This record gives sequence, structure tokens and C-alpha cells, in this order.
Amino acid sequence: MIKLNNISKIYEKNVVALDNVSLWFKEGELVVLKGVSGSGKSTILSLIAGLVKPTTGEVLVDEKKISKIPDHFVSQYRQKNIGFIFQKYNLISSLNVSENILLPLVPLNLKRSECKRRLESVLKQFSIEDKRDTLVKNLSGGEQQRTAIARASINSPKIILADEPTANLDEKLSLEFIKILKDLKSQNKTIIVATHDPLFFNLDFVDRTIEVNNGKIIS
Amino acid sequence: MSLLIALLASTLFISNAMKDEYNKIISTYPDIVITNQKALRDSTIDENEVNKLLAIEGVSSAVPRVWGNYYFLNADKKFLILGKDEFETYPNPLLNENLDIKNHSMLISLGVKKILDDNYYHNYFNFIESNGSIKKMQIQSLLNTKESLKNPLVIIMNKDDAQEIFQYSKNEVTDLAVTVVNRSEVAFVATKIRILFPSAKVSIKKDLRVFYENVYNLRSGFFLTVFIITFFTFFIIIYDKVSGLNSEQRYEIGILKALGWRVGDVLSAKLYEGLIVSLFSYILGISMAFIYVYLLNAPYLKDIFLNNYDLIGDFKIVFSVDYNTLSLLFLLSVPIYIAATIIPSWRVATLEADEVMR
Repeated sequence: MIKLNNISKIYEKNVVALDNVSLWFKEGELVVLKGVSGSGKSTILSLIAGLVKPTTGEVLVDEKKISKIPDHFVSQYRQKNIGFIFQKYNLISSLNVSENILLPLVPLNLKRSECKRRLESVLKQFSIEDKRDTLVKNLSGGEQQRTAIARASINSPKIILADEPTANLDEKLSLEFIKILKDLKSQNKTIIVATHDPLFFNLDFVDRTIEVNNGKIIS
Repeated sequence: MSLLIALLASTLFISNAMKDEYNKIISTYPDIVITNQKALRDSTIDENEVNKLLAIEGVSSAVPRVWGNYYFLNADKKFLILGKDEFETYPNPLLNENLDIKNHSMLISLGVKKILDDNYYHNYFNFIESNGSIKKMQIQSLLNTKESLKNPLVIIMNKDDAQEIFQYSKNEVTDLAVTVVNRSEVAFVATKIRILFPSAKVSIKKDLRVFYENVYNLRSGFFLTVFIITFFTFFIIIYDKVSGLNSEQRYEIGILKALGWRVGDVLSAKLYEGLIVSLFSYILGISMAFIYVYLLNAPYLKDIFLNNYDLIGDFKIVFSVDYNTLSLLFLLSVPIYIAATIIPSWRVATLEADEVMR
């Protein structure tokens, strides 16, 4: 269970991203946060991931106040619980597909064989086995996104956060992504997607759609 | 970075080799050398003056020496000719080896042999004397490799032949070399000699050392210039790194933090990265310097330190590993580069990931 209690987030120069927002997400739920650019959707994802701290209020994940714990422990929390799919994928261009996917495992000091097993599993799951040694800058948009999803999944996180995942994809690739999302939901992952892409609004496997505007929850 | 280390290492290697060479030369010098002076220029001296020297208390030996340079026009090279008298004991160990030199024959170094071969003198060489006449000298044999390396362009012959080539009369010699029993009395003995030979130039080993050090220090000025320029460039690079990471590097650290990397994980990755880059640069730079200085004999750079009139002449840089120089270069490059990699990364890694990626 994820809970956001009375959250406000004010960035530098008094930019109000969220204004006294309260939200909750159940385990295994797929929720779409919709709203225009700058409405505060991405800030909600960043708060859940522990990438930013709220100005006021608290974020609880499984009853743990992740908004109050020190940076070192937030990193550990992210390693174990969060898979983040960024809008621009945020892959490291000088590394190849396999190296990018393996990045979240580096701090865990796992055995080489275990890393390899997990890598093979996600490469196969997201159909990028043949691109394993390709530099990510040489991939198409769809392949980059699948690499980003594979990287977000390699730790088997409980929570998948996707920030405008289809913003840089055409309709065909967007539909492919939606299929992947459905597969992830079937694995009982909690999935929160921040998007303004209409493709997400009438999907039968989406549990809830929450509209955000000007840092407030509209519906 | 490798190029900077290579340049710095090359200058240090050459500088050290020169210092070693000067020290070697000085060690073969006698305690006191007496040369005659005419119009304030070095001139020959009568070898019979030796008897006066031997009468001075404290003098253990006094040897008349015949030596000088011969300019070989065709090759534009100077040969050092040393005349040897079988009954004399010289301060120079090269002349004290058991060398049986025949009349009108000579022993030559490998460097001389190569030059003569290039000019079709395989068995003999014709010296042109100052009066224009020719003196034919047979090549008796080669000096051993060790001596050839130390003295690349040296010729040893009997004293009489050397005198003839330099157009000296029978009793004329280049200088008189004096050895003193008690080293602490060298200056005192030199004073006695000055009184005995008021028109002669009396040089003591200490003065020669000062002279060589001055020559070395003049060359060191060039070295210092190269050193300062190189370090200035190096520190500009370091300053550029320390003053901040570029946006791509910041973004990468932000990504790593967003993926669950802790500050320590980021720093250890950067430590390995800095260590690999700087060690590789160091090893590559030192290897380049070794090849340039010891295999190629430092073309161009050596000419900055030496010139045609340099006292040690056409010297070959002898291979040696100076661990102090290698350690100095290591300390000035690897730890500084690593620090310059880690400090800005630490600054960025301690910020919130979201802030870094914005």
C-alpha cells in the first residue's frame, strides 16, 4: 500500500508542484495519473520513488515513512522496491543494452551467475536478446523503451512507475508498451503511469484513472 | 594526459642522464689540471715541467697528457683523440686498461667505426694535420662495447702519433694531470703550483665540478621551462575537471541514483574509473618516454639540452630506471587525477537525484 498524506511540494523560485495532495494506491493496482504537462504527475512519481522529498506531508510505502528516512536508506528502498521508466528512458548512451539493464544490480554485489540469469530473463521477456551488445544510442525508440523497462524490471520490484512512457513512441509501439504493462500487472505489480496519452484512458485492465491539475487532484 | 606525462618523463630522464654523465666525467678527472695560456687561450705545455710538480710535497703523481678533438669534415663530427704512453698511469680508467697499441695504429670506438665505414675507411684513416699534410693511421681494433657506449666517438693511439696529428713538438703536451695524496690538501697544492707556474691555468676538480654544474643548470633552465609549461597544462585540465562535471556526467550520476545507487556506490565506481584512466595514462606516458628517450635517443628534445659545444659531446643516453623519478611522476599524476574525478562526483552524488536530472 502506498499512501501520500497531505503532500505539498514547492520547488525553487516558489514553483508549487503539488498543493496538499492525499492519495493511496493498493498493491497490484494499475493506476493512470492523467493531466497536462506541469500538472504535478511526475512529482507524485518522484515522491513515491524517493527521488525528491515533500515540502510538507509524508509518503508511506508499506507503512514506512520513506519521505523521512536518510538518503542512504532511500537508495536501498529504491533498489528493492522501485522500477522507474523515465519519459526519455534515461539510458546511458556510452553503454550497451546489457550494461544498461545490469546497472541496478551493481550496488547489490550479486554473484555473476545470478546477474546473468536475471539479465537473460528480462532480455527474453522484453524481446531484446538480439540487441544485447548494441550501444543504446544505436537503438530505435521502441527498443530503447524496452531496454528501459527491462532495466526497471531486473530487480523484480513491487512498484513500477512510468513517467510519460509513450511520449516518444508512435501508436504501434505505444500499443506494444500497453501489452507489456498488462503482462506486468498480471505479475501482481503495483503500476502507476503518469501520462496524457488518450490510449491509456479506456483500457479495461486499468483499475483507476486520477486526474491531476495545477498540483491538485481533480477526480 | 599520457602525452603530458610522456613529455615530463622524457625531460626528467634526459636531465637525469645528463647529470649521471657529468658525474661520470668528473669522476675520471685528476685532482689538478695545469694548462698553459697564451693570450688567455689554452696552449700546450712542456712535459718536462712534470719534474717540478713531482718535487712539490703532497703530489703523488703528475702525468703529461696529449689529447684533443679532431674535426672530420665529411661526417661533420668531432673525434676525441687520447694519446697513451705505456709508461704512464692516467687518471682516466679508459687509458689504464692493458692496451697494446702499435705505432701508427689506433683503437676506435663503435661510433667512430660506423662513421669511418660510412666514409669507406674500413682499415685505416687519413688524418689531415694543421700544415695540410696527411697522416695515415691503421685501425688496429675496436674498443669494447661498454667503453664504446660511454665514449661514443673516441680514438686511442700512441702519444707520439697524437702529438704528430696535433702538430705538437716532441716535448709539447696538452696538459699536466696531478693527483694529490690527501684530497683535503688539493687547494693548498694548487696554490703552490700557481706560484710555480704564474702564467699557467691551474684547474682543480672542485672548479670543474662547479663549471659542469653551471652548464647543467643552464640546461636545467630549459628543463624547468618545459616542466612548468607541462604542469601548467596539467593543472588547467585538473582545474577544469574539479570545477564541475559537464551536464552529461551530472545526468549519468542522477540516473544511477534514481536506479538505487548510493553515494558510496557512485564514488567507488568513479574511483575505479579514475584509477583505470590515470594508471593507463601513466603507464602509456612512461612507456612512450622510455621508447622516445632510450630507444630513439630523444631526437629534438636532446638537442635542447645539449649543443655541439657541449662538454659531454655526442653522448648516448644509457638506459637506467630511476625509481625516484617514476614515483614523483606517479604521485603528481595518478592521485591528483583520481581526486579531480571523485570530488566533483561526490558534490553531485550528494544532491537529490531529481535535482541532478532536472
